[in-house]
Amino acid sequence: MYIYTCEEDFESMMTCIYDVWADRRGSQNVRLELEPVGQQELFSTYIRVLRDDTKAAKVIASIQKKISPEAYRQVYLAAMSDAGDRLDVIYRFLLLGFAYGGAVTKRLADAPVMRLFELSRRTGNDMHYYREFTRFVRIEPGIYVAHIEPACNVAVLAAAHFADRMPSEYWMIVDDKRSLAVVHPKDEEYYVTPLSKEELKKLQTIEKQRDIYTDLWKEFFETIAIKERENPRCQRTHMPLHYRKHVTEFM
Amino acid sequence: MELIKELTLQEKLHILADAAKYDVACTSSGVDRKGKEGYLGNSRACGICHSFAADGRCISLLKVLMTNHCVYDCKYCLNRVSNDTVRTAFTPQELCELTIEFYKRNYIEGLFLSSGIQKNPTYTMEKMCEALELLRTTYRFNGYIHVKAVPGAPDELITRAGYLADRMSINLELPTAESMKKLAPNKSFSTILKPMRKVTNTIASHRLAQGKSAYLERSTSNQYLSGSIFSENQRRISGASGVGEEKKDLLTISGREHQKLLNRPFAAAGQSTQMIIGATQETDYHLLKTTQSLYQKFDLKRVFFSAYVPLNEDSALPSLDTKPPLLREHRLYQADWLLRYYGFQADELLSEDKPNFNEQLDPKCDWALRHLERFPIEINTAPYEDILRIPGVGPKSAARIIQARRFGSIDFDHLKKMGVVLKRAHYFITCNGRMMYHIPIEESYITRQLTSVEYKENWELKHQQGYRQMSLFSDFGVQA
Repeated sequence: MYIYTCEEDFESMMTCIYDVWADRRGSQNVRLELEPVGQQELFSTYIRVLRDDTKAAKVIASIQKKISPEAYRQVYLAAMSDAGDRLDVIYRFLLLGFAYGGAVTKRLADAPVMRLFELSRRTGNDMHYYREFTRFVRIEPGIYVAHIEPACNVAVLAAAHFADRMPSEYWMIVDDKRSLAVVHPKDEEYYVTPLSKEELKKLQTIEKQRDIYTDLWKEFFETIAIKERENPRCQRTHMPLHYRKHVTEFM
Repeated sequence: MELIKELTLQEKLHILADAAKYDVACTSSGVDRKGKEGYLGNSRACGICHSFAADGRCISLLKVLMTNHCVYDCKYCLNRVSNDTVRTAFTPQELCELTIEFYKRNYIEGLFLSSGIQKNPTYTMEKMCEALELLRTTYRFNGYIHVKAVPGAPDELITRAGYLADRMSINLELPTAESMKKLAPNKSFSTILKPMRKVTNTIASHRLAQGKSAYLERSTSNQYLSGSIFSENQRRISGASGVGEEKKDLLTISGREHQKLLNRPFAAAGQSTQMIIGATQETDYHLLKTTQSLYQKFDLKRVFFSAYVPLNEDSALPSLDTKPPLLREHRLYQADWLLRYYGFQADELLSEDKPNFNEQLDPKCDWALRHLERFPIEINTAPYEDILRIPGVGPKSAARIIQARRFGSIDFDHLKKMGVVLKRAHYFITCNGRMMYHIPIEESYITRQLTSVEYKENWELKHQQGYRQMSLFSDFGVQA
């Protein structure tokens, strides 16, 4: 068994798939894993793949052209999920994809297609949750800062939504878990930047700030519930506890 | 009764949100609109919930009244003139700033503006329009707005509100003229249905002018169903038959006025309404028939139900210790979904002889059990509309089944992963000729099984307030 490993970013994953393909060892004889690798197997050969943007671009282009844009969308979303087997699933899906073409995304009775669909749905749902539950805090003179800790890597995906929504505001979304920040300057494109430990620490103190509108919002939130219909279980179903960590009305 | 001006903004918000909370419509769905540079906000057709209150209802919009001052005396309402409560009102600026600042922090999707009747309907509607216009123009707000049309307000004002908002609603509250006379003496059926008809026609003519179909978009599942309530031969709205022929039932606006309101489309996300259930004697059959005809004749986007919560003491109302009929409300919503997504008709679910839903079973299971001759259904060959009628299968999983079975046969394992709820579905289906377990297809047996599956859920819905888990520590004083 040959085990290919690479880092967690999307380009590295695509490079890894390129190399597996080029080495022609046969799909039964390879497995793809993400670093850090845990327990190593005794009788397997480990091959470490390093990010190569030209190889990655080739893989992306052929998924879009030879399979379909929908397949690429699902692959990207699956790559952003938090499942440990995601890289291997993407590889097995692409094997079928290059054989069947665009219709592959509909073949849910095939195990790799179903698994990829599950992963992409998972990321998609998570992305939607963060459209709903991301909360910004205002710091003077008018910058809005949000903190999130998503299971899947959705900060950039959710940011596209906020860029459309608030094009003429300064805002940033900080992913506390991955030390990433999406920064959006007024009337410009947004960009992603990694954060140092000190920067992250400084940003985290902002979250506790309160102003008149946080108080007003809490007042509204308490008031709008109908006492006679109280139902914490229903509330928990729609808004699971782990999403509430950075939500103003629950802090 | 005079307006109290010295309240703080927080106190005002408390009073005016508290008075608005019994309105159920809190959706921000129905319209896709991109953001614009220099403006704040966009809108997504799927709708976005931003939080969930302690009662489990979603908070999507800033739901408040313009004022809780009211000259009407509707028996069921907290704000009726005969109640002695603190009265107050927002200024348009206060309302705009609240909306904008909440929106920028991603607390809300937009504004839901309703109002008590201050002085008269015209004055009230004028105040609301003033606030909305300020919000759209000066504050450059491009997010979602849901506005109540006040029955009895002049056409010009309803028109203005419609061009500023995304959704309009006029609450029917009570489904018969008789109950309305009893409980809402200042309102009448015609003052509600007339503006509703005009709004319907105006939306339709606007859609035609944009090159769309006169009817609002519905769930895609309806395209593949011949017998759905939204199929061509079943619905009729007069505005769609010929624009212009019924000018008097259309809300019109001059080009210059429209320009002033930023050339926005008229209530692009459609119209909705709500009915109170449990305050009067109507049966579920009556309510569901009314709902269906509102969808077909008025092309409403949604009809909401609100379980009656007793707020006032009155001989015409249920007593103050009545529990809100939450399970009944739940069943009505389930049936409403069956109408809009599953191709059911009101007459299939209920009838004169069986006018109320079985509380122990959801309407779809109930229907399936009365039509066991149509089951079991073979997943690998059955047509889409039959698959959609299996309890435990929804429009999404039905579509996935149809797509996947073109490439290979489907088994119970696949169904589970596609999102089918097998604990309900397995009584009604076969995969490649086999059922999941060896069971008799027999009404009494399946009923017993299904009610035991759902018994706990139903019981909890019904007794939401009355029970809690006992705890060793607080109830019996055990020390940890």
